[in-house]
Amino acid sequence: MKKFREYYEKTPFKFLSEKTIRVMKLTLLLSILTISQLWATETYSQMTKLTIKLEDVKISNALREIENQSEFFFLYSPKLIDVEKRVNIDAQNQSIKDILTDIFGKEVTFAVSDRQIILTPNDQSEVLSAYQQKRQITGTVTDKNGTPQIGVNVVVTGSTLGTTTDINGKYSIDVPQGSNSLTFSFIGMVPQEISIGTLSQINVTLAESAIGLEEVVVVGYGTQKKTSVTAAVSPLQGKEIASTPITNLSNSFGGRVSGVIVTQTSGDPGRDASNIYIRGISSTGSTQPLMIVDGIPRDFTKLDPNTIESLTVLKDAAAVAPYGVAGANGVILVTTKVGKTGAPSLTYNGYIGFQNPTVLPKFVNGYQYATLKNAAAQNEGVPLPYSDYALRKLKDGSDPDAFPDPNVWDLITRNAVLTTHNVELSGGTEAVKYFGSLGYQYQEALWPSTSNKKYNLAINIEAQATKTTKLSLNVNGRVEKAAYPSILPGRIWELLQYVNTKRGPLYFSNGLPGDKIPASIFGSGYDDVNTMALYSKFSIEQELPFIPGFKIKGTIAYDPTIVMDKLWRVPTHIYSIIDTSKHPYQYKDAIFDQTRSSLNQTFNQYNQLTYQASMYYANSFGKNDITVLALVEAKNNNNLSLAASRRNYNLDVDEINMGSSSQADMSTSGTSNASRQVGYLYRVTYNYSNKYLLETSGRYDGSYYFAPGSRFGFFPAFSFGWRISEEDFFKKIGWISNLKIRGSYGEVGALAGSPFQYLSTYDVYGPAYVLGGQAVQAINSRNENNPNITWERARKRDIGLEVTFLKRFSMEVDYFYEKRSNMLVIPDVIVPIEYGIGLSQVNAGIMKNQGFDLSFSYNYSISKDFEVSLGANFTHARNTLLKVFETPTTYDNPNRRITDRPLGTQFGFHALGFFQPTDFGADGTLNQGIAIQPWGVVKPGDLRYEDMNGDGKINNDDLTVIGNPETPQFIYGISPNIRYKGFSMDLLFQGAAKTDRYLDRHMVWPFYNAMNAYVDNFNYWTPENPDARYPRITSAPTVNNSQTSSWWMYNVSYLRLKSVTLAYTIPSRITEKIKIHDVRIYVSGQNVITWTDLINYDPEGSSAYGNLYPQQKVISVGLNVKF
Amino acid sequence: MKTMNNAIINFKCKVALLFLMSLISCEKSLDVSPKDQVTDNTLLASTGNADLFLNGIYASLPDVYNMQESEDAWTDNAMCGYVYYVSRALINKSVYTSANAPTYWTQYVNIRKCNLFIAKVESSTLPDTWKKLRLAEARFLRAYFYQLLWIHYGGVPIITEVLDKNSQGDSIFRERNTDGETFKFITDECAAIATDLPVKPAETGRATKGAALTLKGWCELFEASLLKNPENDKTKWVLAASTYKSVMDLATYSLFPDLETMFFEGNNNNVEVIFSKAYLGGTSLGGSKEGLWGTRIVGGAQVGYGAMNPSQELVDEYVMANGLPISDPASGYNPQNPYVNREKRFYQSIIYDGSFWLGYEIVIKQGLGSRNATDLSNASGGGTNTGYGLRKGLDPKYAINGYSRLNSAGFIIFRYAEVLLGYAEAQNEASGPDASVYDALNKVRARSGLPPLEAGLNQDQMRVIIRRERRVELSFEEKRWNDLIRWKIAEINLNSTIHAMYIEKINNIWVYKIIPATDGSRIFYANKNYLLPLPQGAMDKNSKLTQNPNY
Repeated sequence: MKKFREYYEKTPFKFLSEKTIRVMKLTLLLSILTISQLWATETYSQMTKLTIKLEDVKISNALREIENQSEFFFLYSPKLIDVEKRVNIDAQNQSIKDILTDIFGKEVTFAVSDRQIILTPNDQSEVLSAYQQKRQITGTVTDKNGTPQIGVNVVVTGSTLGTTTDINGKYSIDVPQGSNSLTFSFIGMVPQEISIGTLSQINVTLAESAIGLEEVVVVGYGTQKKTSVTAAVSPLQGKEIASTPITNLSNSFGGRVSGVIVTQTSGDPGRDASNIYIRGISSTGSTQPLMIVDGIPRDFTKLDPNTIESLTVLKDAAAVAPYGVAGANGVILVTTKVGKTGAPSLTYNGYIGFQNPTVLPKFVNGYQYATLKNAAAQNEGVPLPYSDYALRKLKDGSDPDAFPDPNVWDLITRNAVLTTHNVELSGGTEAVKYFGSLGYQYQEALWPSTSNKKYNLAINIEAQATKTTKLSLNVNGRVEKAAYPSILPGRIWELLQYVNTKRGPLYFSNGLPGDKIPASIFGSGYDDVNTMALYSKFSIEQELPFIPGFKIKGTIAYDPTIVMDKLWRVPTHIYSIIDTSKHPYQYKDAIFDQTRSSLNQTFNQYNQLTYQASMYYANSFGKNDITVLALVEAKNNNNLSLAASRRNYNLDVDEINMGSSSQADMSTSGTSNASRQVGYLYRVTYNYSNKYLLETSGRYDGSYYFAPGSRFGFFPAFSFGWRISEEDFFKKIGWISNLKIRGSYGEVGALAGSPFQYLSTYDVYGPAYVLGGQAVQAINSRNENNPNITWERARKRDIGLEVTFLKRFSMEVDYFYEKRSNMLVIPDVIVPIEYGIGLSQVNAGIMKNQGFDLSFSYNYSISKDFEVSLGANFTHARNTLLKVFETPTTYDNPNRRITDRPLGTQFGFHALGFFQPTDFGADGTLNQGIAIQPWGVVKPGDLRYEDMNGDGKINNDDLTVIGNPETPQFIYGISPNIRYKGFSMDLLFQGAAKTDRYLDRHMVWPFYNAMNAYVDNFNYWTPENPDARYPRITSAPTVNNSQTSSWWMYNVSYLRLKSVTLAYTIPSRITEKIKIHDVRIYVSGQNVITWTDLINYDPEGSSAYGNLYPQQKVISVGLNVKF
Repeated sequence: MKTMNNAIINFKCKVALLFLMSLISCEKSLDVSPKDQVTDNTLLASTGNADLFLNGIYASLPDVYNMQESEDAWTDNAMCGYVYYVSRALINKSVYTSANAPTYWTQYVNIRKCNLFIAKVESSTLPDTWKKLRLAEARFLRAYFYQLLWIHYGGVPIITEVLDKNSQGDSIFRERNTDGETFKFITDECAAIATDLPVKPAETGRATKGAALTLKGWCELFEASLLKNPENDKTKWVLAASTYKSVMDLATYSLFPDLETMFFEGNNNNVEVIFSKAYLGGTSLGGSKEGLWGTRIVGGAQVGYGAMNPSQELVDEYVMANGLPISDPASGYNPQNPYVNREKRFYQSIIYDGSFWLGYEIVIKQGLGSRNATDLSNASGGGTNTGYGLRKGLDPKYAINGYSRLNSAGFIIFRYAEVLLGYAEAQNEASGPDASVYDALNKVRARSGLPPLEAGLNQDQMRVIIRRERRVELSFEEKRWNDLIRWKIAEINLNSTIHAMYIEKINNIWVYKIIPATDGSRIFYANKNYLLPLPQGAMDKNSKLTQNPNY
């Protein structure tokens, strides 16, 4: 009996590694059991005769050769059978028994059962007979709360014999005589080994495992156990974001995931996506990451957050290499939920939120405007525009029509509603699992003409069609109805800044509009954008039981999207008083912009068809685990657009057919385009004893962008991991439960620029000109072609450390270094302007990007009812342009050189401050020695710039670095969470640093382009206020003071309470009475508080002159019910 | 049963294999071609196709009617209504540098297109008659583009072939040709192609013999003027006069009866037009001059940017209806009622206090709450800075704020009145005010209802009249800057202050007062501003270029 035990303990017949998903493991186990039932039959083996001639080969190779030539396969333990021994075989038409006897002599006994042959050492042959004597053990597996655990692996310890628990947590297993114990294991649980003894029933309570260790993470084209991952991968669970009032999933990363730098520049409903930079910016070309939904390249940003199982950010070469050319900027994998085995589970999640801008500029009121204007006029020595009478009227507000005090913020909606509802059904059996979800989101905006309605439907069905065949069908649809006014929010935001007392009131006291902004917001027509997007996917996965651990899979995904845009513009009316000396005032109506209505309709269709075929093999040989993945992917995109428009509507009926029938008032346009990509990828992982991990992956990728011959590139990556904590010498250090060092190196491609730059072709466009009174088409040469254009290459290095100690703290830190070469840059400096044509991009730029990212988590259960946790992450990324095309003018000036500086470094004059009266002589001329500034006569209170080269005059040679790139170099998040009984509080603080933004025009300068001024502008220079924020006040910004200079550069670092959720789960003893499983109510906030030095604007904006729909602060109340 | 299973598995394997194979053969599917582009072969497949390339060159003529400020805002004719526009911020104060000056250097893009067209067509097998005509058109356009460069920069690199960095290496970097070489190239080209071009084009808008000769005459007039002819070599004037005379002798052009509607879309390519840039309203090719240059607030709504504010200096140049200048005591001009009994062109060209526009009376008086009142606060984008608005050439139908691109009216580059005035000037300088000079001038004046000039004027008196006539007749047609430059009077006229009309109520009477316009002071450096600086970008990329003096 002892020998028998040793046999099974030492020789696990592991056919699949733990990385493989559980279902597959089970199926294979079942097939092996099936094989054992066929033990007695010997038909095939008796009939088959083989001819083999091999010299000096390992026995293992000989056996493989036999497997190849026949349908036999061998079961043996390499520990017990010396298969390394070299033998000669010369068999002519011999039976298998004869051949094996030749090979092994008397050392080994072999039992042949049809096609299966079990080899055992001669001295242990009794195990074979023992093997066939079994007894049954049954039981139930539960968690600490007594909930039955479904799908727990129950295995005879050290063997491949096993089963899983059913829907009620029950199992039943036949164990061979002499079996010692059973091992119970499940993802996320601590495995348990229970001694069998004489028991026939074993009930087990599994405990949850220490954080993270058994976690499975999604990686490119598969999943891996967190412990065996050798790449830099950051997961984000869908449940973390499902309750936060965000409208676009791209806004869910900030501060939650290490290695991700995000900026959200707009809060416009439906157009509020963030820019995502994984590990910062590494190229002058495209920098946005690849987005994958359920394995298919697709945009995830508008999916229903409730349907998201997880979001995973792939960061280093090892992680992104399988995406080849599309992976250089990192990859975001989104996995949608699938059904879980069990009784149908119905949940509802919904909230209603109220939105307000995070910040609104503080404009001057009418009286302040007038005093500021008068101060400017006084400065300039021109007559004062506002008399004492006018000032008095503006102050007392007694004549709001002639002396108005318009406040634009009166026009905007406060507490605009944002509401989301989602119903989800999930359940299934081992055979069929289903998941269905229906979501609805409605978002109001700062004005009633903008709103967004979104319907999301998701259906996922997985079926185990046969024991070895799995089918899955995956449909995710979205209907989005976005309504906007006929003008873009940027323009509205610009118009808002024009409003001032001089232009008149928003509305006269009789209700007539006095400014174009009310009409622009409320009555300019509409722009309705209706989107129908469907993601559909069908895949079939087939296991091949005769090759253990091998399966093939085919997937086809068809994703059509249709966008309809209907833009209806109507004339807008504005009233004014022509002559304020005549009472009562007479109001005149006038039309602003077009005098008749017009309609533009656009139809865009985007179709994507993706095919994938893959082979996957996973097996264990002793302590060696191997997995191999090979996959082919092809992606075809076909897009078309069609548009029609008419103008000069006689009747205001918003249909194309109702428009003017004059030919000149009609127009049509349309085009189509296609894109193609084909890739072949592999990944091989090797794992020895769960200590030493090796992985290589790569992709041979082709794209239609380039000329034949330059289309395909090969992008390999290698990575390793060493789990030091698994080493015997380390196991003594009990307080560190996990310590892993990993590293990766690889090359990835990047598809920057635009397609067809290799072609020497001409653009055709029209209408291009008018000849003979008729519109004519034209042909124009495109940029000079570059037949050799090909991929950008990114070489990525990463070294990471993962550590868990005291079972509560875990930390992951990565240093990364990327060098982007072959970077596509426009070599325009190599030809003179007289060359007369632009050049295509060439693969010539070089850029590096390096930094670190770190994530940290801490969990502590003070008692069963009281838990605290803290998560934190930091990311730093800094790039440097190593080689770009640069003219000698900037390259030779160390202050102005672009090369060797971060991309987006901001240049300008260095402002020394203001000229003070002491800088001028008695005659008003500048003192000797002060550099001459070329933008007109300067006066005290004007900005003075530094003469960097000391030549006594300020010109472009004096430009220098005045600011960091706008994209933050440093971003971080800190998330403390507390749970006490049914209460929980989750906070997320998020911040960014090392980011500067240049503010100009109406964002800072008073009266720019006849626009308004800010209250802050009162802090202008006077002899009494020499250290003012703003230069001497002028009626419009002077050329001198509006030069790009450090004076207007703002550090836009910030820290904000990005999200907060307070929740209470009603105890189930109460809810059970009304037959409800779980009820959770919560209050949630987004962008709740922001700390920053910037005034009037949100620090996350961009430099688009502030003409952006502002970021929103949302406070919501939600309900979560599980029936 | 087992065999059955195996068969199924086998079948599945085969399906999987087929699937894989089908993907592997996908490499060919990467052969996608763009659907909005054509190749060389298509380009030269027919005259019709090749015509499309020339269309694109015509389309590259400067788009004056979509510029927020035309060159007239650089001059003493007007000032821009916006403080930060290039004319007011840089040109008027002469603070521009090679880094920020307006650039014409981009004409080399158009020049390359011409060179490419010429090279491709010359070597093609397309019909010779077609080739001859189209090559002449392309050469005309190229000469026109070089003219823009020559006037603003002096001598520039003359490039007549398609530069190719791969085959030509460093020889793509060219030095500047001399001023004289550039002038000679332009006028030689015009002379050479004039015979190939038709007098009447098959399609309006195409280059004609008249256009080529007018371009030649204009360059010769420029070359004969003081700036380029300090010794006053009379033969240069003779040459200009004779070229203009040859245009007159074509007997194809005459003056359009009404100067106001001549610029409207209904009168595109009328009898007076020699060459124009075409527009097509309602498309991206439409013009927006009304929305950009037109009076800002009319009837309460903003219908224009008000970017062009005519100066008091220009207004004073309009004579009285009796033909006498306002400075003449006999003219009957009343400074306290300045807008009565002026010549017709004043009313056609200028919006002033009390005039009507779009059916509304324009109020530019102070203190009435009118947003068109003179803007003394220098607030960019307020009312007018000068007390005047632009009317000339603006079609009330299209008075819509901003870039409406609704107007189909062409921008007239050359018209017959300019030929007559150019002839009169050249002839007066070459041989004094002979009858042909009187005749040419009187034709132009008669169209606007002015009496014929009195006889017996001497050359200097005639020069004064010609220059005033030219300024008034061709105002806001992008001619004034070039005239100020070539007459070398910019250093006088642009070293002064632009004036405005300020109408305020004193003792219950509206008083007309001429004041310096706010921000109306001008600076012009005679030692450099007669030429623009070469753009710094061009200097940076081509070390063989030399900068114009004192930049």
